Amino acid sequence: MSDVKRVLVAMSGGVDSSVAAALLREAGHDLVGVTLHLWDADGEQQVGRCCAPEDRDDARRTCEHLGIPHYVLDERDAFRTQVVDPFVTDYQAGRTPIPCVSCNRTVKLTHLAEVARRFDATHIATGHYARLERADDGHLRLLRGRDDDKDQSYFLFGLPQSTLERLLFPLGELTKPEVREAGRRLGVPNADKPESPELCFVSDGKVGDFISRQGTPTTAGDIVDSSGTILGRHDGVANFTRGQRRGLGLGGGGARYVLRIVPDSAEVVVGDEQDLYDANLTATDAHWIAGRPVGAFQGEVRIRYRHRGAHADIIPSDSGFEVRFDEPQRAITPGQAAVVYRGDEVIGGGFIA
Amino acid sequence: MIYLDHHAAAPMPLAVRQAMQDAADVAWANPSSTHAAGRASRKLLEEARESIAFVIGAAPADVVLTGGGTEACNLGARGVAAGCSRLVTSAVEHPAVAQSVERLRREGCEVVILDALRGNPPSAAELSSYLDPDTAVAIQWVNHETGTVFPIDEYASACQAIGARLFVDATQALGKLPIDVQALGADAVAIAAQKVGGPAGAGACWVRRDLDVAPVLDGGAQERGRRPGTPDTMSMVGFGAACETVGERVAAQPAIATMRDALEGRLLEQGAARNGEGPRVATVANLSLREWDGAVLVAALDLEGICVSTGAACSSGLQEPSAVIRAMYPDEQWRAGSAVRISLGIETSAEDIETTSRTFRRVLARETA
Repeated sequence: MSDVKRVLVAMSGGVDSSVAAALLREAGHDLVGVTLHLWDADGEQQVGRCCAPEDRDDARRTCEHLGIPHYVLDERDAFRTQVVDPFVTDYQAGRTPIPCVSCNRTVKLTHLAEVARRFDATHIATGHYARLERADDGHLRLLRGRDDDKDQSYFLFGLPQSTLERLLFPLGELTKPEVREAGRRLGVPNADKPESPELCFVSDGKVGDFISRQGTPTTAGDIVDSSGTILGRHDGVANFTRGQRRGLGLGGGGARYVLRIVPDSAEVVVGDEQDLYDANLTATDAHWIAGRPVGAFQGEVRIRYRHRGAHADIIPSDSGFEVRFDEPQRAITPGQAAVVYRGDEVIGGGFIA
Repeated sequence: MIYLDHHAAAPMPLAVRQAMQDAADVAWANPSSTHAAGRASRKLLEEARESIAFVIGAAPADVVLTGGGTEACNLGARGVAAGCSRLVTSAVEHPAVAQSVERLRREGCEVVILDALRGNPPSAAELSSYLDPDTAVAIQWVNHETGTVFPIDEYASACQAIGARLFVDATQALGKLPIDVQALGADAVAIAAQKVGGPAGAGACWVRRDLDVAPVLDGGAQERGRRPGTPDTMSMVGFGAACETVGERVAAQPAIATMRDALEGRLLEQGAARNGEGPRVATVANLSLREWDGAVLVAALDLEGICVSTGAACSSGLQEPSAVIRAMYPDEQWRAGSAVRISLGIETSAEDIETTSRTFRRVLARETA
């Protein structure tokens, strides 16, 4: 990291980014802490909501502890138009979106790259659990974080080389317990703070309620089986995702699962678990970390963040790719990311059609 | 570090710090206490009140000491509006006045908000058209962000002619323009210590003797029943000492204007747009750099040792686009998000301006792609 001069550290106020900053500080870097204010929680629970004043205070306290400047930048407009609005649209279209991918690509890292240049910072550091490694041909390889359980490389497949060139992931080689330990050792004020929710702006996890609060109520409709027989009613398509069993409100019979959502008729189609398995998927809007591979290749594909990855043939096309799994996979869900790995390396990814 | 944020707070001169330090021996005592300790504190408090009153041409008895400029503005705005059916204000007030007005509106008072487009304050004739004897006016003398000077003398004459009441937020006028409340003919005038080198949390509201103002806090009968709570002798000693510097500050305005104009000229050459085209005080340049987010520019300059601000309200470290610039330029919304306020003071040197100008040039030249 000899070319690293000033580093902009993206600080959410959570443990990970705080420890990332502390480790860089310990290594002697010239740091600037930046907290992006993305969202004002409204009508949600008051504790654990995202971008709360107490999170900004935690980020500020950490920066004071480290003796580095700290600034809060207002990115609420960009977050709404580039992350939240598409999230709502996707849910209404029967998909289950993964907003962290576009947030990282646009609002967070692309924007921070611009801010970094304006701060005369050569690099941007985040608390992501992922690693970067220079390949022999000069391009940067994006690798899984060492901590299998915390690895966040899945969310980062959309980053262009120009952004990767400026990124530092100080936590990539560490496990979460090691991060907390480092936090305590370095006196980070919030080292024992609980994990933040997976979807930062839907802190209570109730997507349907969230979408209603955005002024676009989710559409109620029928719950049907594959033959079209009406089994019941539901109060909004946004409350469902493929593979879901709970919350259907259907009495009697065996366990039934959401197979698909038909947005035009607002129907939620349910069936047996075995109907959830598919061997193929099509992904769109692909991004390849080192350029589009030539021809088909073999790798492992993760179809959601908590999926371990399954072996498959991957066939790139002009703007997307096809995946043929060796074994059928449960609940391949439109809107989620399909991320292609070879071992620890992220080759690229796209969105499940 | 070069400090160019005097409109937020002016640096505290050594004499003010010394006066507060010297006062600490006795200023802790409650000035309402009748014993020796209380009397010693009271003596300092009243001396401070005299210094504060003197600097605005007031009688000490008419000066209500408050916990800062916001409280002084609340007291004055509510004081003149009491019993009135209509309140007239401007669209570019400080929140201390704007939010008082908003509360009065919720309480049933009709509110008229006059535009200050492109930083041109409403004329006295426009103001007059909304006045009658049941009307009050709550308006600033000098805008905190652009330095726009409102024609307060003309407003006062218009109000007097019709029998309307006038509250003047003179927070940013103190130390920049001569203030004489007796000659002005207003009904209440608010000032704050922080803008002239005194401590934050010390303010004062001059109230015309025969105007009966109700306190904005609930409590005891201190300050002749107009401001409850134990007066903060220590802060007021600082305020009083800061007022001793006001004459010097006002006298320095032409020299400050020369420096401001030099810096502003250089920045206009680099593509900045000036916010506020009307008459203004010498101490401030408010500029928008179209390619920049104001908060990012303020931070980038801070990293180079230059303290400026966006001028806008700041809560929990979050700076929102300026409501004042937004109101002045409704058709050019980019200005509000890109605005920076550079405010000079008596400590500013030509060398500071030269360094700042060079730093701006270096920062503005940074490529973003």
